[in-house]
Amino acid sequence: MRPENYEAQRHPPSNEFELNFGPNHPGIEGNYALKVKLHGDVVVEAKADGGYLHRGFEKLMEQRLWIQNIALVPRICVPDPSPMEVCYAMAVEELCGLDVPQRAQWLRVMQLELSRIAAHLFTFGGHAATTGMYSTMYWGVADRDLILDLFEEFTGGRVYSIYNIPGGVRRELPDGFLRRISETLDYIESRLPDYDNLFFKNQVFVKRAKGTGVMSQEQALAWGVTGPNLRATGLAFDVRRDDPYLVYDQLDFEIPTEAHGDAWSRTLVRRLELVESIRILRQVVAALPDIRGPIRAPIPNPLAWNVPVGEVYTRVESSKGELCYFVVSDGGPKPYRVHVRGPSSMHAVQVLEKMSVGSRIEDIAQTMFSLDACPPEVDR
Amino acid sequence: MSQELTHWLDDLLEEIEGIKVRRKSGRRVRADVPADTLPALLELLQGRAGYIHLSAISCVDWIEEDEFELVYHVWSYESHSLVSAHIRIAREPGVYLSVYDLYQPAGFFERDIHEMYGIHFEGSPNMEKFILTEWDGPPPMRKEFDSEAYVNEHLSWQEYNPPWLQELIAEGGGVIIPPEEQRFSRKKD
Repeated sequence: MRPENYEAQRHPPSNEFELNFGPNHPGIEGNYALKVKLHGDVVVEAKADGGYLHRGFEKLMEQRLWIQNIALVPRICVPDPSPMEVCYAMAVEELCGLDVPQRAQWLRVMQLELSRIAAHLFTFGGHAATTGMYSTMYWGVADRDLILDLFEEFTGGRVYSIYNIPGGVRRELPDGFLRRISETLDYIESRLPDYDNLFFKNQVFVKRAKGTGVMSQEQALAWGVTGPNLRATGLAFDVRRDDPYLVYDQLDFEIPTEAHGDAWSRTLVRRLELVESIRILRQVVAALPDIRGPIRAPIPNPLAWNVPVGEVYTRVESSKGELCYFVVSDGGPKPYRVHVRGPSSMHAVQVLEKMSVGSRIEDIAQTMFSLDACPPEVDR
Repeated sequence: MSQELTHWLDDLLEEIEGIKVRRKSGRRVRADVPADTLPALLELLQGRAGYIHLSAISCVDWIEEDEFELVYHVWSYESHSLVSAHIRIAREPGVYLSVYDLYQPAGFFERDIHEMYGIHFEGSPNMEKFILTEWDGPPPMRKEFDSEAYVNEHLSWQEYNPPWLQELIAEGGGVIIPPEEQRFSRKKD
């Protein structure tokens, strides 16, 4: 039975097929999916599909006390949680007009840079795995563990340190900790040539990564790309230097850049940043014994703390790019609104969709890992 | 940021009608503008002052005033300063213009705000659901949406009571929470 006006429609064969890439796929960071349309091996259309890690942090934060949210925010980005708590704490401090003691600021820098090294090592591991080099992954995870050991010792938590509170940090350093941190830094630095030989100079990686996922500086700026991905297109911009927070303006460090804007450049920028982070940490280790004083400013009873009315936008440079918190207070014991702007909200959605088009299917995973996209930051 | 540049920015912003500018710190400027002049302000900031990076669009639900506040944070890579442009729109019907043609990152933020607050952005390239694909309730970030009440109403708190636990409790072990101390009420049958 067909309607009278029925006419069979005939489309020319498109030779296109659809592929669900994720949400459970070794080539995807976290739980995230790309709906890919392919012509042969070449991607003609990619659509990002998020939400698998949505836990409603922004809503939860409106229902919790200012101090309770410190335990909540690091969970937004698992591989690099420390910038989250520092950025949130900075926002509350600015709303309250709290002056953070110098020593606490130096300790925060130490925490942030350790976290950056750990996050970069983790990313190298994941990136290497997308090109089939699993040894780098095992090495990266093992060396990251040494930093997690340090975190465990001085903050009490391996991954989520929950070390900051508005007004300062929770604990003083344990005895002999600066010596142990120096030893770990020396060890990681001594490992870098091995990483170079295994991964960064490895022709398997170089040939795969060069020319993959290219973006120009104009494109990067138009797409809202930040962090190492932007620096890989030749723009030396770093929130730590150009919108300084904590004590970064007293520290001496370079901002590495690369010219080509491809997966290889992005990875190389991170490799060079490791050296700079080690350099910053050595300065912190040298300076900390002379910076004495309290580690936190006095705050009111945190369980009955009404933060003054106002709004604030704080930014930090996380290992993935520009991380911002927009916090609004209505004068009550809980935040009225917290908006988390993670760097991956650009990198994992619009940028990844655009960069996947035209690439081959085996390069999608590499593009995503070279962008260092972190899906939980997108989903929040 | 140098003093000269500060004055230059102030002079530029004076061109916008009805604008209120407040300098919060050396690198942070807050501008309150009427909703219909925001595109003109952004165009001016982007074209003549180098604010080419849209860092974020934030939405605040002021339910008591029956308004949404939209905040556009734009950053200049030249003068290293951030302008936050605040506008207020009526909560109903909750419609505003997209700024995607000026700033491409707006596409993501507008889609996110549409999903979480239900604001429709005219001209935005993609208003499809992204995070809450299987959600057909009200936009959850609105202040009137009470997530705990929603959970109590729609979900049942499963009582986990396997035989081994019953045995344990019979022997005097286990943790028993009396009903009056249970935090969440169970679904009403």
